[in-house]
Amino acid sequence: MSADTLIPEEPEAPTNRPPSMERVRSWLQRPYARKILILTVVIGFLLLPLAWLLLAAMNQTGAPASEIMKDIEQTVFVFTLVSIPITAFVFAVLVYSLIGWRQISGDEPPMQDSPAIRTNTIGVILWTVASSLLAMFLVVWGLVELAQITANSYGSISADEQPGQKSSEIINVTGQQWVWTFEYPEHNGLTSDILYLPLDRPVYFNVTSKDVIHNFWAVELGVKIDANPGAITQTGVTANKLGTFNVRCAELCGMHHAFMQTQIQVLEQDAFDSWVRESGGKKTS
Amino acid sequence: MSVDTAVETKTVFGAEVPQPPQHGAAGGVMRGLNFGTGLIGGIGLAAVAGWVTAILTPSSASNASFAPMEPTYVYLAVLLGWVVGFMLGMGAFVGPLRWVVGRDITHADAEYMAGKDLGRKRYWKYTTDHKVVGIQYLVVTLFILGFAGLLAMLIRTELGMTWTSLFTPSFYNSMIGTHGIAMIIGMIVVISGPLGNFIVPMMIGARDMAYPRLNALSVWLLVAAVPMLVSSMFMGGIQDGWSVYQPLASQAPVGMLGYQMTIIIFAISTAIASVNLMTTILTMRAKGMTWSRTPIFVYGIFAASVMGLYAFPFFQYAQILGLTDRVFSTSFFDPLNGGSVWLYENLFWLLGHPEVYVILIPSMAVALELMPVFLRKPLFSFNFAVAGIVGVVALSGLVWAHHMYMTGWAPAANYPFMLSTEMISIPVGFLVLVAIGTFWRGTAWTRLPLMAVYAVIFNKMIGGVTGVYLSDVPADQYFHGSMFVVAHFHFMLMGAGLFGAMAGIAFFFPKMTGRILDERVGSIGLWTAFIGFQITFISMFVAGLQGQPRRVLDFDDQFNLSNWISTIGAYIIGIGMLIFLSAIITSWRSGVIASSNPWGSKSLEWQTETPVPLENFPVLPVVTERPYNYGVPDPYEAELESIDEDLTEKAGTK
Amino acid sequence: MKKFLVTFLTVLLGGAIVAGVGVFNAVQQEAPPVLVANVVGTKTAPSGEEMPHAELYLDVYPNSSSQVPQPETKSPINNLLLAGQPFYHPSTSLQVPSNSLVTIHFRQYDSGGQIYNPYFSKVHGTVDGTMKWNGEEVTEIKPDEVGHTFTVHQYPESTQPYFFMSIPLPMNKANAKTDKMGYPVDPQIVSVTFMTGDAGSYVWNCEFPCGDLYQEFGGPMQTRGWMAGTFDVVDA
Repeated sequence: MSADTLIPEEPEAPTNRPPSMERVRSWLQRPYARKILILTVVIGFLLLPLAWLLLAAMNQTGAPASEIMKDIEQTVFVFTLVSIPITAFVFAVLVYSLIGWRQISGDEPPMQDSPAIRTNTIGVILWTVASSLLAMFLVVWGLVELAQITANSYGSISADEQPGQKSSEIINVTGQQWVWTFEYPEHNGLTSDILYLPLDRPVYFNVTSKDVIHNFWAVELGVKIDANPGAITQTGVTANKLGTFNVRCAELCGMHHAFMQTQIQVLEQDAFDSWVRESGGKKTS
Repeated sequence: MSVDTAVETKTVFGAEVPQPPQHGAAGGVMRGLNFGTGLIGGIGLAAVAGWVTAILTPSSASNASFAPMEPTYVYLAVLLGWVVGFMLGMGAFVGPLRWVVGRDITHADAEYMAGKDLGRKRYWKYTTDHKVVGIQYLVVTLFILGFAGLLAMLIRTELGMTWTSLFTPSFYNSMIGTHGIAMIIGMIVVISGPLGNFIVPMMIGARDMAYPRLNALSVWLLVAAVPMLVSSMFMGGIQDGWSVYQPLASQAPVGMLGYQMTIIIFAISTAIASVNLMTTILTMRAKGMTWSRTPIFVYGIFAASVMGLYAFPFFQYAQILGLTDRVFSTSFFDPLNGGSVWLYENLFWLLGHPEVYVILIPSMAVALELMPVFLRKPLFSFNFAVAGIVGVVALSGLVWAHHMYMTGWAPAANYPFMLSTEMISIPVGFLVLVAIGTFWRGTAWTRLPLMAVYAVIFNKMIGGVTGVYLSDVPADQYFHGSMFVVAHFHFMLMGAGLFGAMAGIAFFFPKMTGRILDERVGSIGLWTAFIGFQITFISMFVAGLQGQPRRVLDFDDQFNLSNWISTIGAYIIGIGMLIFLSAIITSWRSGVIASSNPWGSKSLEWQTETPVPLENFPVLPVVTERPYNYGVPDPYEAELESIDEDLTEKAGTK
Repeated sequence: MKKFLVTFLTVLLGGAIVAGVGVFNAVQQEAPPVLVANVVGTKTAPSGEEMPHAELYLDVYPNSSSQVPQPETKSPINNLLLAGQPFYHPSTSLQVPSNSLVTIHFRQYDSGGQIYNPYFSKVHGTVDGTMKWNGEEVTEIKPDEVGHTFTVHQYPESTQPYFFMSIPLPMNKANAKTDKMGYPVDPQIVSVTFMTGDAGSYVWNCEFPCGDLYQEFGGPMQTRGWMAGTFDVVDA
């Protein structure tokens, strides 16, 4: 392709455009440029279903069962979407490098060198700006979501909603090699090996351990916090879906770590109350 | 980079330097010492130390929590005896002991220690020649990786057999712990050790490392550390994962001492190796090799050394404290007696995260180093590659607490650590940009090393993107401690790290062994391993998304399918790696003899002859050009210029 | 082609090494022989239903002696480290029939003390929540007089019924009369009856700190054959 054919036919058009636009136009007319862009789009669309597949895998056992879990899934969804273009572009270059630009094999080093591109200012600036913006977006999104999740769990909840209010429930979670126990201090110290939660009411967990570090993971509720010996960590959640869910220990805690699992039963308020009565706890509310 | 041999340098030969008097034959007592005497010394002293300790310790000795202390004391004495005896038997103390008695190593001794005229025997001795050390590192690393890989196969077998249990939970836990730490040790040295020692001095045009004797010390300390790790498997094992979180580690059987001693010795070895590499790179670059003319691989090794140097002391310190907790009943990490579990986690991850980059940066650097050779064009934006490496090093020490988002140690600190962790994706992105920029419009000479780079970049993208989820606190609240994390870091450490190491070994193989790595067998191995790798770890991502915690040997039926697929993939990796290993073995023994520069590289290490002579270069080279001076003028550049000219013309006529 | 033969042999050898090490270790860690609860008749459940009734006898010893040998293990280091530690006898691999009433008779010879979590000084998961202790029906014992516990808990399978049972075994007083082996002449006798559901695999362990090292939860507490094991509910 000679240089002449790159110049547009109409004499008026290019004159009032900045030269850099002209450079972009000529770049786009190179044989590989459009192909790579098309390849990027194709790969991007091939990767697109991932955003839903990831969530489908996460939702297999009934998640999301709380606002927190919904926030987590939203984050995963958005992060997948924003990382697809850049991944698709890199993959497109890798693929095109093998099929588009010439490749040679053989035992001897190739006789013909490739173009000596030491750098490309526009490309470098584009990449830096794009990756910085992306990182900025991820950070800002993360900070906002984190603040929201913290609010949903415990930290910045307003005074009239603090635990001790009638609408909330406190549960002392104790990890011990290799059993979880859940104490309901507002119900006469009622203790259970299954985690019973009332529907649509905030519960606050005081999590601790009798021995080594465990990790209290209420999978479908999106709650996860370490149970440390000698310290109490706090978190909370409002379950908004009826059903049976899982508590798993997510920190290696010795021989039966794999078996340190139990159920979560999210019950209607009535059912929760009658469970409390039957199990010998006094109903305080 | 071309070598200007026209410049004459005056070399001062040893004979002209005043020498201390020579006592006896060159080498002195070292003539009789080798790996065999090292083993005898190590086992002998270990046996004596263990026996004496057993006699001295009353069999009723126990600590406050009723643990019998005799096995602990005896095992510790055996480990210490092994290290000291082995290094004694290797001859590591010959030099220092001569200083003590007021003598020094003479020039003839030094030449003997460098392995001059010793033939193959020099590989079994305390040899100071950097090329010998490089080969020793390579063999030791292959052994470590093989051992850890064997455990990986057993782990996946157990996880694949969902209908029954092959091993007890305790043994399973000890396998994952040992697999983890052995792989970490292997991956930390797999590039910096063999390639850092063998190639870097040649690449910068030096005759040897700055401290040849420390070089030998670092590799033999590593050799001393490995048996201790293996021995812990027979002493009840490391049942606490590779991170051996306290206080769980205080509950483990005595095998934990093997882990702690391994780390203490390995940290010394790493510190010595790091100092040595840094000094060599800083002070011994050839005349004319300014920083802008220094190859990117040298930057990578330098960066890894810097990070290793500041990160490992934290780890070593943590293990020393843990060891005193166990042996002397101190309570640094015993929360019931005023200790802190979070202190351990902080110390551990202050190593743990920089260490990831200690593995990744050399692997990326070796990929970037060999790409220009096979694409016959310069490295794209050398400055950006350097900026990426510097950025990663700068941020590497500020991100460790993202492993502790869910610990409750400092909920408020999650915000800044999330910021720093996500920032690190920018310098890592620079390295990806340099890679794809170098691929850009290059005619690929599709030999094995370059093909491995495609695998590295592919894996690195997947590992990097999944890392973004984990760096984000809300998403990490789901993924922390799940199989998702395991899959992610395998994509980084194995997918990018190990495949990068395979690229590097295949690339430098002709220089190191004088033979070409068999292209066909090597490629079959590489791609088999690559396919198996994708199968294994993508299905492991799925298991993690479904909610399978890590480090469990039994799990809900809903995870069965992903685990079966994962196990099949793992066997494919195993087969692929064995094929690659067989390529290394057969090529090393009877491969095609390589010319001194089979890849047509312009870098210094390829300019000297193969096999490389004792002091690398007959005449020290002088560097006059930027590295990676490949390529022909870009035809499009002329085109763009003509556009510009045209525009200027038109603007002028208007 | 010679080199492909070498490759083939390498893969074969590698596979053989993996298989060899795997089989060797699997054999080394064979579970203790299974102790099966035999059906001895039928019994009436609280619901009034007649169910098969099986019985199981388990003893807890504070240490081994010439009378009670230490649990068998092929691991030399375990033999060394766990000598003189408490263990369940005769086995820790238990098997009970499904959909039946099972009675376990415990004889507890060990001393004891304060348990960390009082939840485990209570009886959980038996028929009507009681156990028979030296002939007396109780629902809990004092948290500072626990010898051991027998705590069966959930195996991570959602396809099998949830099962949780915890039996506190009271301690022997320090001044209890002992025989020449050092075992109390009158051990604590506990028997419990519980109902099993459909088939499933569970694990059990002791929740009383009776091992060594940190929190006395190391050693025998983390070794199957001593204070932990498996609990399989199988169809008859």
